Amino acid sequence: MTVTSDPLVTRPTASPTRSRSLVIGRLARRQEFGPSVGLLVTVAVFTILSANFWSPNNLTAITTIASTVGIVAIGVTMLMISGEFDLSVGQLYAFTPIVWGILFITLRINEWVALAGALAVAAGVGTINGWVTTYFRIPSFIATLGMLFVLQGLNNLLISGNQLLAFGDHPTMVLLGSRLGELPFYMPIVWLGFFALVFWFVLGRTRYGNWTFATGGKAGPAKAMGVATSRIRRTNFIVCSMLAGLAGCMQFAYLRGVTQAQGDKYELLAITAAVLGGTSLFGGSGTIVGSVIGALLLATIQIGLVLIGAPGSFYVTFIGLLLVVVVISNVRLGRFGGRE
Amino acid sequence: MTSTTLPPVHDVDRSLEPLFDLRGVNHKYGRNHVIFDVDLAVWPGEVVALVGDNGAGKSTLLKIFAGYQPPTSGTMRFQGQEVRFASPAAARDLGIEAVYQDLAIVDQLSLWRNFYLGKELVRRVGPLSILRRTAMREACEAALADLGLTRIRSADEAAFALSGGERQSVAITRAMHFGAKLLLLDEPTAALSVRETRNVLADIRKAADRGLGVLYIDHNMVHVLPVADRIVLLELGRVVRVIDRGEVDAEELADLVAASRDHDEVSSRRPTRRN
Repeated sequence: MTVTSDPLVTRPTASPTRSRSLVIGRLARRQEFGPSVGLLVTVAVFTILSANFWSPNNLTAITTIASTVGIVAIGVTMLMISGEFDLSVGQLYAFTPIVWGILFITLRINEWVALAGALAVAAGVGTINGWVTTYFRIPSFIATLGMLFVLQGLNNLLISGNQLLAFGDHPTMVLLGSRLGELPFYMPIVWLGFFALVFWFVLGRTRYGNWTFATGGKAGPAKAMGVATSRIRRTNFIVCSMLAGLAGCMQFAYLRGVTQAQGDKYELLAITAAVLGGTSLFGGSGTIVGSVIGALLLATIQIGLVLIGAPGSFYVTFIGLLLVVVVISNVRLGRFGGRE
Repeated sequence: MTSTTLPPVHDVDRSLEPLFDLRGVNHKYGRNHVIFDVDLAVWPGEVVALVGDNGAGKSTLLKIFAGYQPPTSGTMRFQGQEVRFASPAAARDLGIEAVYQDLAIVDQLSLWRNFYLGKELVRRVGPLSILRRTAMREACEAALADLGLTRIRSADEAAFALSGGERQSVAITRAMHFGAKLLLLDEPTAALSVRETRNVLADIRKAADRGLGVLYIDHNMVHVLPVADRIVLLELGRVVRVIDRGEVDAEELADLVAASRDHDEVSSRRPTRRN
């Protein structure tokens, strides 16, 4: 990782004439620059260390992990930019497909209706998270930690250690998790690209995005200027929950099965991806592309370490160290002041 | 930008209807009577300074002006019409803009995003309100240049790079741009350098010269002297003195300033402006 030498610390020195030399400078000042360099370096290192890094199996493993973590991270990023956290997304990542599976496999409800119903349940969870946080003015950290345990208990109650399996080519399953022809990629990567594009646009180009930044940046002035800060927060809770629920359904569709262990620690992985991608822990700053890069980085490190012979779950140690180092360097370099 | 000597007296036509007019205003917080029979009017094109110690009732009056709370008794008129604000938003709708010391700007947003925050120019496409970025960027730069804020380089700059004085100036420009008629400024030069203070005061003067009424609230007369047309001294909730720039002789003014400056050096560590 080269985040420590992040060129973003230099303040913008915009001049009236934008010469060619400034184009490179402008690129280097983008928030995504540091994480991109980090990803490229990581990929380069594993390419050198392992002959199998670019094998189809490996690409499948990395992209499917990155896709689902990335889609969850997009919602988490929207929420973090508006100044809130959601610790319940990991449990919701299992709860939503479990509800979906029970509805259409066990209860034989139309699969589309069942999917819509499951996503509505996810939206309901987000509504509760947002309402509890904004109405009672308690930290979202606590509100969603409570939701984490509530959902964990419900997951336990619904399938308690069993696995829900789906057989046959259900159109919904094909849509969410099928393989892309002969390519080593699956549908989730397409959805990741789709949602990254949608939320990149929403965040940077719409009033809703502007208000999301303003709400997390400094809610006082934003409210004084007429921004509906509570409504923005509540909506982002719903966005975050629905994306986490949908990503969980994608993993179900891709694996053809779901257990209550699905999505374990995803709430923390999603926050990690967002933070590695440059999203501020204090709200008001962050990018969608950065979080997607952060998710790719997490997945690359996870699979890459296995490839070069590190013990199976050692990667979390590495991710933990990386996270702390990146946040320390960002804080020290004053990066969390935020920028356009 | 401005001279460091006392500025000339400005002509304010007080035969016209005042912009905002408080008559016999009293305010109580529970049993605590904080404002006593205050009459206070601001005419268009006039900078009125409301000066008083902590606890004199400045903030309470500001909140009444800005619509945060109605007075316990007394009348408020805006452009001749009696008003009673249900909320600050109601006051803003009439063109009363309050600029608070720390509440003006969201650091993480660029200048033009700050400028248009809450009043974005958008193009509606289905459920989306898409920002008209170029239009806002250009209009923001034009508005800032119009006020002479040439020290601001680009509307794309993030607001956290702005100094305290530039923030105040941007907030004042924004209020003018969106059709404010009455500006309420709460200690706009507190904690600013001498040079920055001068810039902010010049912007306040420009706003008044364009016909806005300005109510400038400060704890120290030295801060408001270079720009105020009238200075209203408030003590323990009562107006104790109204100083009209044209009616007070230089010697008396100097005495008042000296008293105020001594007081300032004893009671606070805010930067003092030297005249």
